[in-house]
Amino acid sequence: MSENSRALKLAEDNQKLANKRKKAKEKWGIVLDTSKCIDCKACTVACKMENYVPVGFYNYRIWVAEDTHYAKYPVISRSFQPSQCQQCENPPCVHVCPTHASYKTADGVVMVDSKKCILCKYCMTACPYDARYESHTTEAIDKCTFCYQRREEGKDPACVETCPPKVRVFGDLNDPNSEVSRLLAYNEYTVLKPEKGTKPKLKYIK
Amino acid sequence: MSTNTTTMDFFAKNDKISNIWLILTLLISLFGVYGVFNVLINGHDVYGVTRTVPWGILISTYVFFVVSSTGLCLISSMGHVFGIEKYEVIGKRAVILAILTLLCGFGVIAMELGHPFRMAIYNIISPNFESAIWWMGTLYGVYLVFIIIEFYFLMKHNHKGAFYAGLGGFIAGISAHSNLGAVFGLLEARPFWHGPYLPIYFILSALISGTALIIIIFNISYGRPSNLPEKAKNALTGLSKLFGLFLGIIIFFDIWKIITSVYGAPPEKYESVMALLTGQLSFNFWFFEVMLGMLIPFFIILFTKGRNLTASLIAAISAVIGIFYMRYDLVIAGQLFPMREPAPGAHVQSALQNGMVTYSPSFSEISIVIGALGFCVFLYLLAEKYLNLSE
Repeated sequence: MSENSRALKLAEDNQKLANKRKKAKEKWGIVLDTSKCIDCKACTVACKMENYVPVGFYNYRIWVAEDTHYAKYPVISRSFQPSQCQQCENPPCVHVCPTHASYKTADGVVMVDSKKCILCKYCMTACPYDARYESHTTEAIDKCTFCYQRREEGKDPACVETCPPKVRVFGDLNDPNSEVSRLLAYNEYTVLKPEKGTKPKLKYIK
Repeated sequence: MSTNTTTMDFFAKNDKISNIWLILTLLISLFGVYGVFNVLINGHDVYGVTRTVPWGILISTYVFFVVSSTGLCLISSMGHVFGIEKYEVIGKRAVILAILTLLCGFGVIAMELGHPFRMAIYNIISPNFESAIWWMGTLYGVYLVFIIIEFYFLMKHNHKGAFYAGLGGFIAGISAHSNLGAVFGLLEARPFWHGPYLPIYFILSALISGTALIIIIFNISYGRPSNLPEKAKNALTGLSKLFGLFLGIIIFFDIWKIITSVYGAPPEKYESVMALLTGQLSFNFWFFEVMLGMLIPFFIILFTKGRNLTASLIAAISAVIGIFYMRYDLVIAGQLFPMREPAPGAHVQSALQNGMVTYSPSFSEISIVIGALGFCVFLYLLAEKYLNLSE
């Protein structure tokens, strides 16, 4: 199978899976401890491999940005902020999509039904995180799906699984006993651009 | 009220429109074929739009066309909808141009959309009533139907029919156009656009485009201002005054938009406005938008009191050119502040050293824009030449 048809098949399979999981009770989220990040970018590579993200510098679902607020020599520090689609609970991209191509699954994952996408790119202008791009393989807008194809087997998303220092922890925010819920209970955390009211499900431990 | 007319009334030859102009505008529109073929063969990569600036000159040109269409419809409704007799004379010409500009706008946006045909299908079977684009698109569809019917009744001298269709067009036009403002105004992510300002501003600027275009097309139909019949002269003198008034209001709007975006440097709004005032869009802004679009036409009308139709014509042409850039600046400036800091590793596309991103239209985009503008003029001249648009 060519790369294109694999990407298309994955997109279609994910739609079917989302339909099948219509009664899912989970609310998936990722808790990140960025102080552990070593900027190895394994997550970005794993994401591309797992999801057949097309080749190209600006075709990506996930990134590791360097914190540019350097201190001055000799007092120096360096840190990184890995991120991706925030899987907002109040997703602007879903509100603005004219054809319901962007939608939120029962378990709270924002996905794109590539067959319905008309490529008006309204979601790209609506997203406060620049988390979307135009994919040549699915001929639609593409974005992080929390590796939805892995939900059946209960495996972690590729970025979470591959991370050497375990920056990301994936789990069910609705389950008070899950590791993510525990981390959020024991630590102070923040989200990106809270002022936009998007209620992200990516939580950053302070 | 209505009437016995024959099909002969539909057509009449206007010898003021020379074939040279028809051929010239058709040639200009052929230029657009290059862009159309290029995008059909090579895909959307031939456009200059990026991940960070996904809406480019094709979107702003679409806005320009539909602003013109709505403005023409709103202004023309003063005559056959609201019964101001003086303006009845502008009806047919304004409405036919409203139809043509809307169609050309649809053509341009069809080139920008990745899947225009899919849109026609899913707009109906999977509508999202929360989406401003859905409302805008659908209402413009309804609006098109109304103005086509309105034009038919005007041609048939069916005043009652024209009244009802015109009223429908007026309501649909205002709704559609303010929804177009809302497409931008509802985006919390883009502070430069967000808020109730744009839906209101769009209606106001439609009125300016409408008056300016009517002044221009009447001069085209009759060759020059001195050839205008008395009725048309009266209407255009009135319109010139309104034109000046609308320009005054938009200058006032713009001043406050800028002050509120600069005062206290509100994040993101400030950077976007500075891109207009001193940054990458500053020439567009000061020369085209401020000078040609607002100040020159405003002062021309102010000093001639709208009584000199040649001066009004110059003011109108200047304003229409300026308004094209106004649309471009509005669409682009709102996207120049990136949604993520362009730090190393963040892969923020087309980022500049100053933390902003940039966009420049590609040759294909420009060719489609020029082609569409040329084609619109060509269609209008054709209508002017062969349809009976005089009263």
